[in-house]
Amino acid sequence: MAEILLEAKGVSKRFGGVLAVNNVSVQVEKGSIYAVIGPNGAGKTTFFNTLSGYYLPDGGQVIYQGREITDLPNWQRIQLGMSRTFQTPSIFPELSVYDNLLIGVQSQKKIAFRLRLPSAARKREIDERIEELLGFVNLVHLKDRPVAELSHGSQRLCEIAMSLSVDPTIVLLDEPMAGLAEAETERIMRVIRDLHVRLGLTVLFVEHNMRVVLSLAHRISVLDRGSLLAEGTPNEISNNQTVREAYLGQEVVSRV
Amino acid sequence: MNRQTQGYVAAVIALILLVLLPLQFGGKSALTVMHLDVSILSEMLLFAIAGMSVNLLLGYTGQMSFGNAAYFGLGAYGAGLSIHYLNVNFLVGTLIGTVAAIVGALIVGPFLLRRRGIYFALLTLAFGQVFYFIAYRANQFTGGEDGMSFPRPYFGFGPWRTQLHEATFYYLMLLVFIAVLVIFWLIVRSPFGRTCQAIRQNELRVRYLGLDTNRFIYVSLVVSAAMAGLAGALYGLLIMFAAPLMLDWNQSGDFVMIMILGGAGTIWGPVVGSVIYVIGKDIVSTITQTWQIYIGALFVICVLAFPRGLLGSFLYAIARRDSGAPVVEEAIPHAVWEVGTPASPAAVAAEQKEL
Repeated sequence: MAEILLEAKGVSKRFGGVLAVNNVSVQVEKGSIYAVIGPNGAGKTTFFNTLSGYYLPDGGQVIYQGREITDLPNWQRIQLGMSRTFQTPSIFPELSVYDNLLIGVQSQKKIAFRLRLPSAARKREIDERIEELLGFVNLVHLKDRPVAELSHGSQRLCEIAMSLSVDPTIVLLDEPMAGLAEAETERIMRVIRDLHVRLGLTVLFVEHNMRVVLSLAHRISVLDRGSLLAEGTPNEISNNQTVREAYLGQEVVSRV
Repeated sequence: MNRQTQGYVAAVIALILLVLLPLQFGGKSALTVMHLDVSILSEMLLFAIAGMSVNLLLGYTGQMSFGNAAYFGLGAYGAGLSIHYLNVNFLVGTLIGTVAAIVGALIVGPFLLRRRGIYFALLTLAFGQVFYFIAYRANQFTGGEDGMSFPRPYFGFGPWRTQLHEATFYYLMLLVFIAVLVIFWLIVRSPFGRTCQAIRQNELRVRYLGLDTNRFIYVSLVVSAAMAGLAGALYGLLIMFAAPLMLDWNQSGDFVMIMILGGAGTIWGPVVGSVIYVIGKDIVSTITQTWQIYIGALFVICVLAFPRGLLGSFLYAIARRDSGAPVVEEAIPHAVWEVGTPASPAAVAAEQKEL
């Protein structure tokens, strides 16, 4: 069995009287694409947020590369090689696409705190890295535009490039297809597959769109009302009777 | 001539004017014609530095500071008390004032960093008032409500020491101002400064790029306090006086106003704001006692009609005109993706060349 990169052990998260995530465990293999699905309000985004350090869980453990990171501040998780995107692209709207990526590249090169300008050689190195990242998501032609002027799909691609700028080992994507048109969904799907195939990264994503999940993921966890309903390969999940009844619906499965 | 060169030329012209204004030609200077004292120019420069200090923390890093007068006042009292009690010279007094402001920010900072937004703003106000009441209550030491006068000590030391009179004082202020302006310009363009601007727009994202934003805000606060403290110490030396009102939240509000009038987040904005503010405070006030009404009206008009400030709105209009009509995003051609086959580097390069 391949190395487990990220693991949740019995993670729970409570908001007041609501148990949003109840004792959920998953194991993400290094180099795989892992999806977490579930109907609205299943707690998938909350679960996702406990992994990325947006929330601290009330119970259970989060383990990354064999090290417990349950209570680690979010910015330190990034330094360990995790990065994430948000349902609504989290970007710097007034800055250009280039400057959006610059912040992360500076962070990765450990020069963000410097008060002097980077040397010419360093500047070239930074520019090349940004070109490379933009090339990966096909945004080179929009480099100098303020991100606020970009389409929703391009903003999401920009955010994915930002999450890559810190040189992660695993990328966490929170509903990467949310609010996108069909053509844009194709674009993002290609990029996610590229993360795995071309960059060899591990990907964990939360998603609604069943077609996307079944065609992209190697393994899937299904959450329902905060609890883990099923876990397995796309084939196992689409043939699982409990999942079919609880979530998928007959027609979706038959289409796949 | 491109826009950047035009900017530099405008800056150089402004600086030449600042050098020439107090100089006498045929027994008269431009200032005496206007019945003005050269100290008004010193005041403009010092308030500009104070406005820039708010600009760094609020305009660039996006943290609402309504307490920068605390550091300004600490600067003035630091200089005043050290001169009064320890008989230090001009430079040491200025240095002590600036260090007092830095120490104040270092102490207050960890408390401020626990909150953001309006709560951060309220904490800056509250801590500002703490310093105000200390100066107000410590009667025997600070002169309490009446403030304290102190002499302006010699500048320099040994055989090189001289007494600064208003004109020489002004030229010293001009040098300090230029130095602060250059340092400010370098800071906002540095990786640190760019990260601060990113924090203003989206702090959460900066954290999710692996950076401890508290560290950036803390340093931004301390640098801001150092600038305010320097301005306060020199302002104390200009008027040879320190009073609790310099620490008051009204004073903080004036600094915020200076920044907003000119343009938050622009390097020269607070300079323009300071010129307008000092004209109102020192010139309009000799004509009418209700000068604050006019400054207030200008401020309201400015916020409603020029939310980017007078200079900021002007620069924005130029930038919009230069960039022309917004470019329509072209549809992006998609390469057909085959599941499971990694794209060869050549194919990827070819695909990108198409764009």
